[in-house]
Amino acid sequence: MIESTSNPAIAVKGELGRSIRTGSGRRTDRKNRLRFYNRAFRIACIASAVFVCLILLSILFFMFRTGVLTFQTVSPAKFFFSTDWSPENESYGAFVFIFGTVALTVLTLLFSVPISVFVAVFLAEVAPLWLRNLLRPILDLLVGIPSVVYGFLGMTILIPLLRQAAGTDLADGILAASIVLSIMVLPTISRISDDAISAVPKKFRDASYALGATRFQTTFRVVLPSARSGILYGVILGMARAVGETMAVVMVIGNTPQLADAFLKPTSVLTSNIVMQIPNVPFDSTWNYALYMMGFLLLAISLLMIVVIRVVQRRGAKR
Amino acid sequence: MKKWFKSLGVAAMAIAITTTGVTAAGAASSLSGKIVINGSSALLPLTLQAANEFKKLNPKVKISASAAGSVTGPQSVRKGIADIGACDWDASMDVPGFKKFDGQVANRVAVIPFAAVVNKNVKVDSLTNKQLADIFSGKITNWKDVGGADADIVVVNRAFGSGTRVNFQLKALNGVDFMTKGSNYKEVKSSGDMKTAVDTTPNAIGYLDLVYVSGSIKALKINDVAPTEANVINGTYKVWGYGYYMTKGQPTGATKAFIDYVQSAKFQNGSLKKLKFIPLSAMK
Repeated sequence: MIESTSNPAIAVKGELGRSIRTGSGRRTDRKNRLRFYNRAFRIACIASAVFVCLILLSILFFMFRTGVLTFQTVSPAKFFFSTDWSPENESYGAFVFIFGTVALTVLTLLFSVPISVFVAVFLAEVAPLWLRNLLRPILDLLVGIPSVVYGFLGMTILIPLLRQAAGTDLADGILAASIVLSIMVLPTISRISDDAISAVPKKFRDASYALGATRFQTTFRVVLPSARSGILYGVILGMARAVGETMAVVMVIGNTPQLADAFLKPTSVLTSNIVMQIPNVPFDSTWNYALYMMGFLLLAISLLMIVVIRVVQRRGAKR
Repeated sequence: MKKWFKSLGVAAMAIAITTTGVTAAGAASSLSGKIVINGSSALLPLTLQAANEFKKLNPKVKISASAAGSVTGPQSVRKGIADIGACDWDASMDVPGFKKFDGQVANRVAVIPFAAVVNKNVKVDSLTNKQLADIFSGKITNWKDVGGADADIVVVNRAFGSGTRVNFQLKALNGVDFMTKGSNYKEVKSSGDMKTAVDTTPNAIGYLDLVYVSGSIKALKINDVAPTEANVINGTYKVWGYGYYMTKGQPTGATKAFIDYVQSAKFQNGSLKKLKFIPLSAMK
């Protein structure tokens, strides 16, 4: 963000000089005043940017500082690879939750990405204009629905349906959670992909049709590859939302610290376990530190994704 | 001008108090201070109601109340963040999973009954303590073993650290450990989630504060005694616990006055009863 301020600054400087030359009245006063305002504005912007960075870094530092205390009593190997999470017996193995988070995210993407891309293709390529203008605001609205609502609907409608379909007693688990999450991230991914596809120049399509390609061939061989980086950007944004989502997941995942070795088995992920236990955790206990460490892991995963986003963007800009 | 209004207000209140004949409150209204309360969410409605009434009597006392979970109550008191820690169990003694808090005094403020609840499709009406313990520890997994239909039992539990869980474990399950794994076992975050989960899951069993039991879920008899306020008071229904205000040492000043107010007959038999808690005096 800081780097992008340099260009406008130069532009403003040029503007400034011209206005002084053409202006009338007491030149030096106006020049000094403008210079002062411009400099103050610049400093305010830089200060804000630095402030935000400081907040982010201090959050990271605080989470890590508290979380790392876990390893005073629990070995890192046990924390990362043991599946036994029972705070009542001083046993803190977070593998169940790490695995659950990764599995849930992957499954969510498997469900949501193909559907989202088809929705995006439909919106950008197939739908008539009036339908497109109707559907886009609806998808934008869906992004704004609070996640608790999705969770409650999942708990009261989706889970009984799954229970009937599968014939099990409880249908809470990875499958229910990933369906709920897929519905949540679908509007995000499809709207961003839609924008990316719409931005592909018309001449690409015209050239493809001129060579005798069908609409299917044009879409999948020409348009989608051209919009690839934009679509990937949407997928990563959706993935970041899926990883960090808590309220909806906690209502349908079952919250049992056991490995998710079946789709319909109650299990737990990083976010749901933190939100379940944080109200009841004693301060200054290994249990508390372990929860902070899990929070830090989540932050680290999100940050990693943001880095990936930047890399993808840069590569897209180069082409 | 502002000061003048204030003193006028105090004078008017003093007159109002003396004329209505509440002599004790006349002395207490000079009380000032700040009380911070944190802890159990089950006790929060009671605390808020009491704080409102107490503030009317003692306008100079500032009270702020919040709730995060039972164990945060005595913890906040130990750290010095709160003056009163509301807790669903006596935190000055060891309970399963939680060590005692040294130097804290437990002040009883209310009686909270609990009930084992099942989904409406379950045919069983009554269970013994032994049967409940076997179900929640995972030894009995089918309703037909306790006189119901041939169906798997789905156990819904509160997360470790919940005050309701501690009380239910101590009073209904004779302290037996809960099961922690299985495909028919899940945990929920709050009393509200427990209610929804048991309500929407066939063959489910769970437990709740009695005040939450309503609608289509069914409260079980324990040892053939129905969970009613009358049965708690006459001593036949054993699954209940005291709600406590934990303080660092014996309470003093405004904190003591507030706890005294909550324990007073006026509050116990009035607002506390209306909130469906049971007055302390009924248990003696």
